Amino acid sequence: MRYKGEYNMKNRNRYISKASAVCFILPAILVVGLLLLYPVASSVFYSFTSKNLIKATYKFVGLKNYIKVLSDPLFLSSFVNSLKWTVLSLIGQVLVGFTAALALNHIKKGRGIYRTILIIPWAFPSIVIALSWKWILNGVYGFIPHLLVKLGIVNELPQLLTSKGLVFGTLVFINIWFGAPLIMVNVLSALQTVPKDQYEAAHIDGASRLQSFYHITVPHISVVVGLLVVLRTIWVFNNFDTIFLITGGGPANLTQTVPIYAYNVGWGQKQLGVSSAVTVLLMIFLLLICAVYFRILNKMEKESPQ
Amino acid sequence: MRRKRLKSSLFADTVSYSYLTVLAVFAAFPLLWILLSSVKGKGELTGNPTSLLPRTITLDNFRIVMGQLRFGNNMINSVIVAGSTTLIGITVAALGAYGIVRFFPRFGKVLTRILITTYMFPPILLAVPYSILVGKFGLVNSRIGLIITYLSFSVPYAVWLLVGFFKTVPLEIEEAAHVDGANKLQVFIRVVMPIVTPGVIAVAIYTFINAWNEFLYSLILMNSTNKMTVAVVLKSLEGQEIMDWGVMMAASAMVVIPSVIFFMFIQKRIAGGLAEGSIK
Repeated sequence: MRYKGEYNMKNRNRYISKASAVCFILPAILVVGLLLLYPVASSVFYSFTSKNLIKATYKFVGLKNYIKVLSDPLFLSSFVNSLKWTVLSLIGQVLVGFTAALALNHIKKGRGIYRTILIIPWAFPSIVIALSWKWILNGVYGFIPHLLVKLGIVNELPQLLTSKGLVFGTLVFINIWFGAPLIMVNVLSALQTVPKDQYEAAHIDGASRLQSFYHITVPHISVVVGLLVVLRTIWVFNNFDTIFLITGGGPANLTQTVPIYAYNVGWGQKQLGVSSAVTVLLMIFLLLICAVYFRILNKMEKESPQ
Repeated sequence: MRRKRLKSSLFADTVSYSYLTVLAVFAAFPLLWILLSSVKGKGELTGNPTSLLPRTITLDNFRIVMGQLRFGNNMINSVIVAGSTTLIGITVAALGAYGIVRFFPRFGKVLTRILITTYMFPPILLAVPYSILVGKFGLVNSRIGLIITYLSFSVPYAVWLLVGFFKTVPLEIEEAAHVDGANKLQVFIRVVMPIVTPGVIAVAIYTFINAWNEFLYSLILMNSTNKMTVAVVLKSLEGQEIMDWGVMMAASAMVVIPSVIFFMFIQKRIAGGLAEGSIK
């Protein structure tokens, strides 16, 4: 392909190739720009206005929405609930997911079948999570309450989803049930990247199982686990469906988290401007959390053997 | 020494298997209970809450779901919305992921970071502008409006997963095709795609499941019953007189079974993706 005018051809080809290469990523950029960045920017904009769900007109109100939100005791209690919800769910999910991954990694027979059964919750739509658990835990006909009475653990049917003392714990349990499989599967695939010969070498050197776990396994998977925890934190913090569909934030706002608060303000009270302010605050908080997390992760990554 | 090792491994085996068995019971129970409840008769559901197996099997609940509730209609809505989201989303994401890997590795890194950041956006944050925008364009109660909003979470995640698959395609094969005179798009369709097809299918199915399962945007944008997706119509039916738990479990079974079956097919491919995509 070398003939006269090669220089020009090459230049032209390079021009065309650049343009055609852009065509590949253009749609994705448009999606990100129009469906993600622009709406977020407009959310920030609306958070300074009196935008209403039904009325067409709105005016600027400055920081009024933010002041209103931050001085609302219900917002503050929702925020505390969100923190509680996130921290407890996450601890449970990581604990169960991690130990399940270790157990799966240990066994030799039946790993596939156990894994397949254990990931079932992951596929559940939020509405079915809600309906199935509401039915299983139902205070009149529910399987679990009746089972607990039959086994003699409690004397009367426990109201797991409506009693003030039990509801939060029940929700966290359901969220652990739903979220542990994702942690399990990712930790398992990280565990399988640990080179086997390192364990053998450690064994020959007389290291105990606990020692090789601590010195070989943990450093190898810490980055993956760290990243998982970051993503899960965000996801659990943002979660709207699970609680909204199971308790709607009740009883007496006891399980109301920030996303549900934002929904109630925006669609219940029709105050989209105020609702925007809530979601922007939520976003800022998550960005801060992420900044801290990623700083820690970077540090860990530098120290890890990979 | 050897004996001790054997003994300890027997102990570890026992612990592992019993632990996993307990977890498996918890993991599978809700699905099992949905299925069992959906075929039990009315009296049996309320009469004996702890009996596992149904004494008689009836399909009455499914008849009510399909007949009186016209659930089939909503199933079709969900299939159309999730299917279109998948088709459009995967096309956009596959082109984008390939472009990032092959042509813009440096800018791609920035773009991937942005994509991961968008993963943090609370869905409720986007819900406000979406409801305003969709209203402006007159797309309330329209499947098209819903599909567009679904691209917002499908595309970033799919790009993220696909980047990992495209990285495995050896450059030499593509170069050979280029020498034979094929242009970029031809190389992409005829050479690259066949190599990554299994991965792309897995990501497509995952996208479909997520769209099928989605609730919030559908709740906000669809408000007439015959236009609703399955998730939202189930919510709206809750508490209505016609709905007893048996009927609700029958409808739930029809929503959850496709998700679970699809997920079983792709779990091996998708599963580690989150961790791998982030490291490679």
